[in-house]
Amino acid sequence: MTVSVLGISGSPHRHGNTETLLDSFLDGAKAAGSSVEKVVLKDLDYSPCRGCNACHKTGECVVRDDAIALFGKVLKADCLAIASPIYTMGITAELKGFIDRGQYLWARKFIFKTLYFTDDHIKRHKGLFVSTAGQNWDHVFDGAFPAITAIFNGTGFEYYDNIIANNMDEYKGIKNHPSALKEAYEKGQKVVRVIEKLNITG
Amino acid sequence: MPVKVLAFAGSPRRNGNSETLLDWVLAAMAKDPDVIMEKIPLTEANINPCKGCNACQKLNRCVQRDGMDRVHDKIIEADIIVLAAPIFCMGIAAQAKMLIDRAQVFTSRKYVLKLPVVPVERKGKRLGVFLSTAGQDWSYVFDAAIPSVKCFYNVIEVKDKDIRYLMVNHVDEKGAILNHPTAKADAERLGASVIAEMRKRLAA
Repeated sequence: MTVSVLGISGSPHRHGNTETLLDSFLDGAKAAGSSVEKVVLKDLDYSPCRGCNACHKTGECVVRDDAIALFGKVLKADCLAIASPIYTMGITAELKGFIDRGQYLWARKFIFKTLYFTDDHIKRHKGLFVSTAGQNWDHVFDGAFPAITAIFNGTGFEYYDNIIANNMDEYKGIKNHPSALKEAYEKGQKVVRVIEKLNITG
Repeated sequence: MPVKVLAFAGSPRRNGNSETLLDWVLAAMAKDPDVIMEKIPLTEANINPCKGCNACQKLNRCVQRDGMDRVHDKIIEADIIVLAAPIFCMGIAAQAKMLIDRAQVFTSRKYVLKLPVVPVERKGKRLGVFLSTAGQDWSYVFDAAIPSVKCFYNVIEVKDKDIRYLMVNHVDEKGAILNHPTAKADAERLGASVIAEMRKRLAA
């Protein structure tokens, strides 16, 4: 069975450093034989979570927009790569706006108990975070990891790896980084092989 | 001399827990007879996300014409800037992150163009207050929000040491904060102490 890989680009800015890094990962995944889809959040029509907690009563989101269909795709993918540049020490508002909309899945898991992921399911579903930052600080990604962990937990993915590169301001872009694009490509190939193997051997 | 307080209610839910916390702080501040106060709910502020275009590094202003035009000037004029926002999915709510990211114009002004953000006589005098609430009871639930908040305040000329925090976890449903044992008293104490501190700074 072909491994399906979904890439979500959360940058407001097309074909910038983060999306280029995501593309390299997806190219590697495709070369390894997976089916790949990329969704660009800025092209979708969705609003951030309203915090109305209506989903705590119904398990459904009252806002019907593109976010719901995208969560549907997320739940069907074997591998999920979520990409966002670091803005002001965190992920972009576009991506945070999408992640927050997953509250109805939280409600299904913890209030209604209609959504449950087995350990085996989680092991076979790999999540990766793709990011770039202008700053050269090592801790520049730290504020992003918890929200990424939250969406992977909420949608049944193991937080498998990070594909992150800082210091973009000094490199003057990801294309000048000595290793990031190559490593992203290799990680794309590798994760598809790992999922294939798990699907055969369990 | 009046103290100018600018407050952002950063939750998509009006009059929920983080905004209630904010209202307690503002009510305590308003006990000072000479306070000019404005509360801006971000749900009504019409602030779009940052486009990441970096045009502000050259133009010294944002290319987007929206509610941030008005908010930009108010941020410069205020003595005390209060940001209240809930934690969703282990990070600050997207609505508040939009405001924070739009402060990029101040980052460009300060660090790229090396221009003043506030008049020199007010530099080092401003205070920031970050108020937050979270449904989870984990003590670390606010950790990921703080770096973004510090960054927001730093670029608008509020130093780390001049940011005050009140963060209340384990309040989820609307109104839950009303039953919290200490939140209201803590908020009132904070509001009073921040005004007192600003009075001292303005008199110095």
